[in-house]
Amino acid sequence: MKPTGILFFPAFDWSLGETHPEREERLLYTQEQLFEEGILDLPNIQQYAPGLAPMAEVLKTQGIFPSPQAQDLDAHLIAAGSALVLGEAWGKGDIRNGFALVRPPGHHAGATVLGNRGFCTLNNEGILVNYLRTHFGVKKIAIVDTDVHHGNGTQDIFYHDPNVLFISLHQDGKTLYPGSGFTHEKGGPNAWGQTINIPLPPGTGDEAFQYVLETWVLPKIQEFNPELVINSAGQDNHFTDPLASMNVSAQGYGKITELLKPDLAVLEGGYSIEGALPYVNLAILLALAGQDYTNVREPDQPRRPHIPLKTLKSYVSELAYEYKQAEPQWNVRNELYLPPGEWIYLPHSIYYDTEGFQEIRHDRVRRCRHCGGTVFIESRRPPEPAKFALVRIPFQACPECAQAGYDLWDTLGGRYQAVLLQDQDRNRIEFWQADQGVTAF
Amino acid sequence: MAGRVGIDVGGTFTDAVLMQGNRILDKAKVPTKPNHLLETIIQAIDALKITGKQALEQITVSTTLVTNAILQGNLPPVELLLLPGSGVKLESFPWPISYQILYGTIDYRGREINPPDQLEWQRLLQKLHQQKNLSHVAIVGKFSHRNKSHEEQLAHYLRRAFPTLKIALGHQWGQSNFYRRSLTTYLNLASNDLFGQFASDLEQAVAARGCSAPIFVLKADGGVLPLSKIRPVESIYSGPTASVLGAMAQSSPSQSFVMIDIGGTTTDLGLVLSGEPLISSSGAKIGPYSTLVRSLAVRSVPVGGDSVILTDGSNFSLANYRLGPAYCLGGPAPTPTDAMCYLKLIQYGDSKRAEQVLASLLQPETRTPEKLRALASSILDVFVERIVREINALQQEWQNEPAYKVWGVLHPHESLNFHLWMSGGGAQGIASVLAQRLHTSVRMGKYPEVSNAIGAAMARPTFSCTLHLDTVLRQYRIEETGEQGQWQGSKRPHKAINGFLEEIVQREAQEKGIVLMDLHKDPFDFFPIVQGFQTVGQIVRGAFHVPPGVIGRVEE
Ligand SMILES: [Zn+2]
Ligand SMILES: [Zn+2]
Repeated sequence: MKPTGILFFPAFDWSLGETHPEREERLLYTQEQLFEEGILDLPNIQQYAPGLAPMAEVLKTQGIFPSPQAQDLDAHLIAAGSALVLGEAWGKGDIRNGFALVRPPGHHAGATVLGNRGFCTLNNEGILVNYLRTHFGVKKIAIVDTDVHHGNGTQDIFYHDPNVLFISLHQDGKTLYPGSGFTHEKGGPNAWGQTINIPLPPGTGDEAFQYVLETWVLPKIQEFNPELVINSAGQDNHFTDPLASMNVSAQGYGKITELLKPDLAVLEGGYSIEGALPYVNLAILLALAGQDYTNVREPDQPRRPHIPLKTLKSYVSELAYEYKQAEPQWNVRNELYLPPGEWIYLPHSIYYDTEGFQEIRHDRVRRCRHCGGTVFIESRRPPEPAKFALVRIPFQACPECAQAGYDLWDTLGGRYQAVLLQDQDRNRIEFWQADQGVTAF
Repeated sequence: MAGRVGIDVGGTFTDAVLMQGNRILDKAKVPTKPNHLLETIIQAIDALKITGKQALEQITVSTTLVTNAILQGNLPPVELLLLPGSGVKLESFPWPISYQILYGTIDYRGREINPPDQLEWQRLLQKLHQQKNLSHVAIVGKFSHRNKSHEEQLAHYLRRAFPTLKIALGHQWGQSNFYRRSLTTYLNLASNDLFGQFASDLEQAVAARGCSAPIFVLKADGGVLPLSKIRPVESIYSGPTASVLGAMAQSSPSQSFVMIDIGGTTTDLGLVLSGEPLISSSGAKIGPYSTLVRSLAVRSVPVGGDSVILTDGSNFSLANYRLGPAYCLGGPAPTPTDAMCYLKLIQYGDSKRAEQVLASLLQPETRTPEKLRALASSILDVFVERIVREINALQQEWQNEPAYKVWGVLHPHESLNFHLWMSGGGAQGIASVLAQRLHTSVRMGKYPEVSNAIGAAMARPTFSCTLHLDTVLRQYRIEETGEQGQWQGSKRPHKAINGFLEEIVQREAQEKGIVLMDLHKDPFDFFPIVQGFQTVGQIVRGAFHVPPGVIGRVEE
C-alpha cells in the first residue's frame, strides 16, 4: 500500500506576536507528541521536507496587492509550498493521502489579499487546488472545511467555480468570527449550489458532526464525484479551544477524517495548544494512515454544555430546508466598458481583523452556461485612493469568456494602480503595475 | 611523539595501523575469526611492529562484536516493561521482541496524567517470581525523557524484590521516540554483559603485552570513547563509520565527497559535506531494531569484490555472499574481481584463471574474446548500478532533511561539488567504471586497504549535549545522558542559560574522559509559554556539540 505523506512545518521562528494564538509555541507540543509516538516509524508513513510556493502558483489563485513584495509572505509561502509538495507527491501517485501539518493557516485568505486576515495571508488549499488542476490535469475537486470558523477565504476564491465543491462546517457565524457562512451563500451565478455552508450551534460534539457528515456532506460529495477531496483540517472544534465553543474530541476528529477520507488534509486553525493539538493532530494522522486512533485520549473531559443529538437533528433538518429554499438574486449591471455578455455585480466589503481595516470589493462575473465565467474584481482600501483589479479567466474557459477576459486586461491598465491577469486555463499569469509595467510569472 | 594504533574488524579481514602523528609507521591485515573477535584484535596488534609499547598514547578499536550479536540474535533474555500511556497502539509498530504493558501516563511536558497502578505491580511481581532465570529488566515509559519518575519508582519496587536484577531505564536515551527508546534500552541492556566481558578481556590482554595505553572504541556517530564509558549499542556500525573517517583523514579539509568502500561482500557508502559527515536524522537501524543510536548516514550495499556471480545459463546476478577469494586469486567461484582482472583494471590476480571462470558463465559456442569482454563489462555495470542507486538514495536523504523553521527553508543546502573517494580492496578495479557512470572524478588514498584502520586511529571524540528546559515546570533535561533536574533560574532566562549548559558540558566531558576539540554551540530556541494571553515562562532548547572529525591528515 502507498504511504501517507506527512509534512510537518511548525514555523518555530514565526509568530504574529508573542502572546498571539499564532505563535511559535503552537505546534511545539504537537511535535513532542508526534515524535515521541514515533509516528515516522509507523509502516506507511513518509515524511516530506517543506518547500516554497512559486509566486506564479500563488498569483494564479490570489491577487496580492499592492504587490507581492509589499506583503510579508515568507512563512506563508512555505506553508502553501508545503501543501504543494504533498500535492505533487499525490499527483505523481507516490502517496495514498497526505497531511500538511503546517502553519501559518490560510482559509480566511481570499481572492484578493491586502493584508493578514484571521491569521491568514495565503490560502494554502486554494493554491493547492489550482496547482493540481494546472500540473496534474485534475478537473473536479471537493474541499471540506472542518475548522470551527467559516472558510470565508476559500469560499471567496471558488465562489464562481462550478468544478470545485466547497463545503464548510463551522460554528454559526452569529456567534463567531468571521460572521459569515450562512446557508444562503450557495455560490455565484455559474456555480450555484457548489458552495455549501453548514453553520452549527455552539456545543456541537462528536456524534453530531458524524451525523452531519453522514447525512449531508458525504452524499453531496458522492453526487459531485470529485477526483480528489481536500480537508481544511482546523482543530478549533475541540472542546478545549479558547476561541470557540464546540465539543469535538480528538477521537471525534479521527472519526471525521475516517469518514471524509481526504486525499490531502491541510491544518487550519486550532488554538488549544496544549489540550487539543497534540492529540487531534495525532488522531487525524493515524486515521489518514489507516491506523487505530481509539487509544488517543486528551487528558481533559468536555465541560461545555452539550447539545443532545435529537435537538441537533431537528436543527440540521431545518438548515437543510433553508438551504434548499434559498434562491439566487442576481444584480445584472452591464456597464459600457465591460466586454459583451451579462455581468452579475456583487459588491461587498471585507474586514481585515489583524490590522483593522476594511477592503471594498466590486466583483463582477460574466454569466455563462459553458464555463465558470470570467471574473473581474475591483479592490480598494479606503481612505487610500489606489484601486486594484483582478481578471480571472477560469479553468476550462469558453472562448467568449476568455476573449472577455483579455478585452478587460487590455483596457484596464490606466484606471488602476495594479492589475492581475489570472488566465488559469492557459496558465498565463501577468501582473501590471503603474510604475513597473507588466511582469509575467 | 607517542604512537596511536587503529584497528578495524571487518567481515573478512581485520586491519591495523600504527601511526605516529600523521605518519603511518606500520600496517597489518589478519583474517577475522568471527567467533573469536578478541583473539583477532590481539593478533592484529601483535602483527604491528610496535617498539616501546609504553609510549602508545591510544588504541582505538572498531569492532563488530555488538553488531554481530544483535544480527545473529545472540542476546540474553530481557524482560521489557512498557508504560505507553495513551496514544498510538503499540501493535501498530513492528516489534521484534515481546513486552508487557503497565499502567501510568506522563504527558509531553512531563506532567503525570495517570499514576501507576500498585495492584498491577503486585501482580507483575508474582509473575516475575515464577519466571526462571530472570536477570535483565528494561523499563521504558512514554515521555520518560521528560519525567523519569514512573520508571524509577518501578525500578525501585523491583529491586526490593530482586536485589541482583540488572535494570535499565529508558529515560537514559533522552531523545523523543518511545518506540526507538524501548528498543534501544533493550538492546543496550542485552549487549551489556557481552561487551563488558570483551572490554575487560581486551584490557587484560593489552596490559599483558606491557602496554598501558588507554583503549578507545569507535561509535556509530564517528566519535571515540574510552572502553569503559561507551554504551555498548553505540558501537554498532563502526565499520562504515571508520571508512568515512579514513577518507577524511586522507583528504584535505572542507571537501565534499561520496565515500565508497568496496569490501569483500559489502560496499559501504557515506557522505561528507564540506568536511563534515552527514548524520542520520533518525537513528541507526540494525536488523529489525530501530534505535536512537546516533549514527552517520551510511549505507551498505550487499555486493563486493568477492560476491559470487550466479548464472542460470543466460542471465547472471550478484549474490550477497562470498565463498572465498576471487577465482583469479585462487578462490572457488567467479566474482566481480575476476571481471576486473580480465579487463586489466587491477594489477593483481591470474588473468588466465579470470578468463577461464568468466568463460564458464557463457555457453561454449559464445566464448569469444568480444563476448568475454562484454560479459566482464556488464558484470561491473551491474555492480556499479547497485552502488549508484544507493548513492542517489543517500543524496536524496540529505536533500530531504526536514526543516522546522522559516530560516531553514529560505536558506537551503547550497549545491556542492562532489567527487568520489574510494577505498577497500576492490576500489582500483571499479573506480574508472564508476567515474564514467557518474561523470565525476575519483580519488583514492595511498592506503586503500587499511583506510578503515586509519579512520579508527585518527577519529576524535564526538560530543553532544542538548538541553530541554521548561521554566514553568522548573525542569531541565539533557537528551544525551537522560539527566533530569530542577531548574533554579528565572522564568525567562537569557544569557544565564548559556553558562548553565556550559557547566554541564564541562562536567560531562570530564566524566567521559575526553577532550573537546572544535566545540560548536547550536543557536538556542526560546518558546514563550502563554497562558490566558500572559507569558508565564519559556521552553528553551539548545545544544553544544562536537561534530565527527579527525585529529590530523595522513602524510603521503
Ligand atoms: Zn479556525
Ligand atoms: Zn464562458
